[in-house]
Amino acid sequence: MGVVHGQEMVLNIGPQHPATHGVLRLQVKTDGEVVSQITPYLGYLHRCFEKHCENVTYEQVIPFTDRCDYLASMTNNFGYVVAVESLMDIKVNDRVEHIRVIMAELQRIASHLLGLGAFGLDIGAFTPFLHMLRDRERIIDLFEMTCGARLLYNYMWVGGLSHDLPVGFVEATYKFLDYFEPKIDEFVNLLMHNKIFVERTADIGQMPREVAISYGVTGPNLRASGCKWDLRKNDPYSIYEQFEFDVPIGEGIKGSIGDCWDRFYVRVLEMKESIKILRQALASLPKEGDVHQSIPKKIRPPKGTIYKRTESPRGDLGYYIESDGTNIPYRLKMRSPAFTALSVIDEIAAGWLLSDVLAILGSLDIVLGEIDR
Amino acid sequence: MSEDQEKFIARLVEKGLTGDMEPINEIQDRVLRSKVKAALVKAKRVAKTQDTKEIKNDVSDKTLPGEQSVSETLNEKIGKMIKEKFPGSLDNENIENYIQLSPDRWFEIATFLKTEPSLFFDSLQCQTGIDIGDNLLEARYNFHSMEHNHCIEIRISVPKEKAIIPSTEQIWRIADWFERETYDMLGIQFSGHRDLRRILLPDDWEGWPLRKDYQEQETYHGIVVPKIKEGWE
Repeated sequence: MGVVHGQEMVLNIGPQHPATHGVLRLQVKTDGEVVSQITPYLGYLHRCFEKHCENVTYEQVIPFTDRCDYLASMTNNFGYVVAVESLMDIKVNDRVEHIRVIMAELQRIASHLLGLGAFGLDIGAFTPFLHMLRDRERIIDLFEMTCGARLLYNYMWVGGLSHDLPVGFVEATYKFLDYFEPKIDEFVNLLMHNKIFVERTADIGQMPREVAISYGVTGPNLRASGCKWDLRKNDPYSIYEQFEFDVPIGEGIKGSIGDCWDRFYVRVLEMKESIKILRQALASLPKEGDVHQSIPKKIRPPKGTIYKRTESPRGDLGYYIESDGTNIPYRLKMRSPAFTALSVIDEIAAGWLLSDVLAILGSLDIVLGEIDR
Repeated sequence: MSEDQEKFIARLVEKGLTGDMEPINEIQDRVLRSKVKAALVKAKRVAKTQDTKEIKNDVSDKTLPGEQSVSETLNEKIGKMIKEKFPGSLDNENIENYIQLSPDRWFEIATFLKTEPSLFFDSLQCQTGIDIGDNLLEARYNFHSMEHNHCIEIRISVPKEKAIIPSTEQIWRIADWFERETYDMLGIQFSGHRDLRRILLPDDWEGWPLRKDYQEQETYHGIVVPKIKEGWE
C-alpha cells in the first residue's frame, strides 16, 4: 500500500482580492486545505504619510489623517487634534467637545456597520451587507449635512471645528437614532444568530488575551478576548468621563472567548453603547459657544514630544509627535490599530482551514489605508 | 500723529479703562474719536489676555505638580532600579519625562521591564525612530502596563554609522512589525530580529526615507523618480 504524502503549496491571496479589504497580499502555505503559515506583504497602499507630514504645517496634516483610515475619518481627525491640542495646551469649549463626541460616535457606528457587513460578505452573506450599507448611508448623509463631505471630512481642526452644526442637525440625529435602534435587533436576527454564520465563526480563530496584548491588539478585537479595556473609560480624553456607558466584552456565548463570533458580537454591542452616548451628548449639547473660539492664529507647538492615544473604531489610535518649535512637525508617527491587528494573523489563523482564514481576516476589521499609511 | 495727540489718546484710554466714557464721547472730531475708541478696544483686549494668562498660570501651577509627582515617582523608581541592576546603562541623569538608555544591555533591561511584577509593562504601545541630528538616530519605545495602568517612554540613541540596537521582538511580539517599520524608514538595525526585512517599501528600495539627509534614488526599475515638485511645496 502506498503512503499519501501531503505536498505543501504556496498560495497568494491578493493583492487584488475582495476579501482582503484593500490591497494586501497574504502568502499562504497550505497543506491540502489546512493553512500552516501566513505571511502578509504590506505596502501596496503606502503613500508616505509620515514623510509628507514632515513637509507640511500642522493644520495641513489633518486632511492626510482623513485618508489613512478612510472608513473612520472623524476619529482619525479627533485623535490628531487631541494630540496637538495637548501639546499646545489648548482647551476647547464645551460645545466643541460635545460636537466632537457626537461625530466620533456616529463615525464609530458607521465604521462598525461597514466592518460587520463586509465580514458577512466575506463568508458569503450578501443581504446583510446591503442592509448595513443602507443604514450607514444615513449617517453619511448627516456628515454631508454638517461639512459637505461624505467620506473625507477635514472637520475637526486644532482648537475647534470647521463648521458649526447646521440647523436641524440635532433633530435629524434623533430621528436617525430612533430609526436605527430597532434595526440592530434586525441585524442580530439576520446574521448574528444565523445558523450558517454561527457555524462559520463560532469556535474559529480564538485569540487568547495574552496573545492579543503581546501583539498590541486593541479595540473591539482585544475586548472580544475578554479584556475590559477601553480608552474612553480607562484613560478618558475629551469629555468621555461625563457619559455613562458600558464596555462590552466577549463572553463566548456561541463558542469560546475570543473567537470570530465574539468579535462580531462585541461590535454589535458597541453600536448600542454608542447610541447611549449619542443620546446623552445630544441632550446635554450646549446651545452657546463659538466653534472657532480657540483656534490659534499660528500653530506652533512648543518644543517637546507627545504620545497621545484615542479610541478609534479599530482600537488605540496613537499619534507620536515631536515638535521643534516651528509650524512643521519634526517627526510624526501614527500608531495605527489595524497595523497591530493584522500582525496577529499568522498566530491565530495558522492551523485553520483556508476558508476560515478569510473569516478570521474579516473579523479583525482591518483597513489597509491605515496599515500602509 | 503728533505727540500731543498720542498723549491725549493715552489719557482718554486710561480713563475709558476705568469706565469713564464721557470725555471720549464728548470729542467732536469723528476721526479722532474713532481712533480713541480703537485704542481703547486694543487696550481692553491686552488686559483680558493678561488676565486669562494669569488664570492659566494659576491652574497649571496647581495641577502640574500633582501630575508630575506621580510620573516622576514612577520614572525615578524605574531609573533607580535600572541603576542598581544594570549599572552604567542610564545615559542621562534627567529622567523627568523619559528614560535615556545605552543600547548595550537593552535586551536584558527590556526583559526586566516585562517580568518585574511591580512594573509589568506587558504592552508595547508604540515604537518609532527619529533622526535627531548630530549624526544620531534614536529609537523610542512607549510602554504601557495593562495591569498597573502606567506608562513610560524609553529612548535609545545610536550613531548613524553603527545604528544597531538589540531587538525586543521576542519579548513583545508586536515589536516584530514595529521594528521592521523603523528599520524600513530609518535604517536602524535590530540585532537578534528573526525576520528583519523592509515592510512598507519594496525590498530593493535604496536609502532610508525618514532620515533628514535622505535623497531619492534616480530611477526605480527604469522609472525616473520625479524630483522637482511643481506647484507643491
